[in-house]
Amino acid sequence: MALDRYEWLGRLAARLPDDCLVMSTYIGAVSFEWAHHTEEHHRSAHLGQMGDVIGLALGLALALPHRRVVCLDGDGSVLMELGQLVAMGEQQPDNLVVFVVDNGVYESIGWGAVGRRSTATAGRVDLAAIAAGCGVPYTVDVTAEDELDAEMDLAFSRNVCSFINVRTAPGHSHVRPRRTDGIEDKYRFVRYVERLEGIWITGVPPQDIALMKDRTR
Amino acid sequence: MTAAALDAAHDGLRAAGIDFVSGLPDGWQRPLHERVEADPDIRYVPVCNEGVGFSICAGAWLGGRKPALIMENSGLRVASEYIARISLGTGVPVTLLCSYRGDVGETEHWGIPHGIVAEPLLGALRIKYLVVRHVEDLAKSIVRAKRISEAQLHPAAVLVSGDCVWED
Repeated sequence: MALDRYEWLGRLAARLPDDCLVMSTYIGAVSFEWAHHTEEHHRSAHLGQMGDVIGLALGLALALPHRRVVCLDGDGSVLMELGQLVAMGEQQPDNLVVFVVDNGVYESIGWGAVGRRSTATAGRVDLAAIAAGCGVPYTVDVTAEDELDAEMDLAFSRNVCSFINVRTAPGHSHVRPRRTDGIEDKYRFVRYVERLEGIWITGVPPQDIALMKDRTR
Repeated sequence: MTAAALDAAHDGLRAAGIDFVSGLPDGWQRPLHERVEADPDIRYVPVCNEGVGFSICAGAWLGGRKPALIMENSGLRVASEYIARISLGTGVPVTLLCSYRGDVGETEHWGIPHGIVAEPLLGALRIKYLVVRHVEDLAKSIVRAKRISEAQLHPAAVLVSGDCVWED
């Protein structure tokens, strides 16, 4: 029996290290359910879209090599841009763990009388095998619940660039869609990173704020 | 690109504060990729397509780096999907440094389509850009492109051509 996505994401949220950052999908069931489980904590960037989630997470992981970065993506999104796995396999940042919610269907587009539209992973495509072929150091295709718990514990107990493909059952989300757009999501994540890292990313730089104060005298 | 343009481009990237570069080398800017890769102050991430490179640059910006994507202008077409999704949708700045294949002076037939598409595509993506045909303008154009990309939280581009690549 395939794993339940909502239930799994809840267990992942409970295990998530406090000091990590998350790159998640922007819209769709994974994003909405992750936001629901994490109460939209600002450590999660809901900024990834079809074909760019792993790329964004990889850039973030390379920018902050001391910080664990967790990526949440879907099978349709990974399939759209397999070149991301090539870059991940070449760079191999040991602070990056990618989880793929692989339900074998394009869930978010809905379905009609003939049922859900399948992705290629419902057929012969094995994303974990592709990631391994691209050079990602640790890859696994998870189908059982006890195996999944062990893989999550392993991922968070060590620093190894990992690609964990989780085969879940299709199923429409019953949580509410998120309310924010990408602009708001970006700002809240960036401000969180600024506070967490003690760095400046955007807006008036601290040294210029001091200058502005001088000018008002 | 010419030796003078290579120096100017590298100087411009450094002066702009670029500390993270992704890209796919092309015939014109290959020496710049090699120069940047050897620069200890710049993290260089080679990719196999420019769309992935753009996503990686955007992620690096979210982590506090100042990224640039170096590519042929044909790569703009590949990257455009991710530029639209990420930057039009969320407002993330990346400096784009593109070879301007197909510009006046082009010698290769296959470069012509790249020249036809590049500027209209930048316009469609609301990306401000400078076309640099004189070496002495290259470094400051990179600095200015990076400056407005940060101010508008959207990519800005430099298209490199003319005296930067041909000695005629």
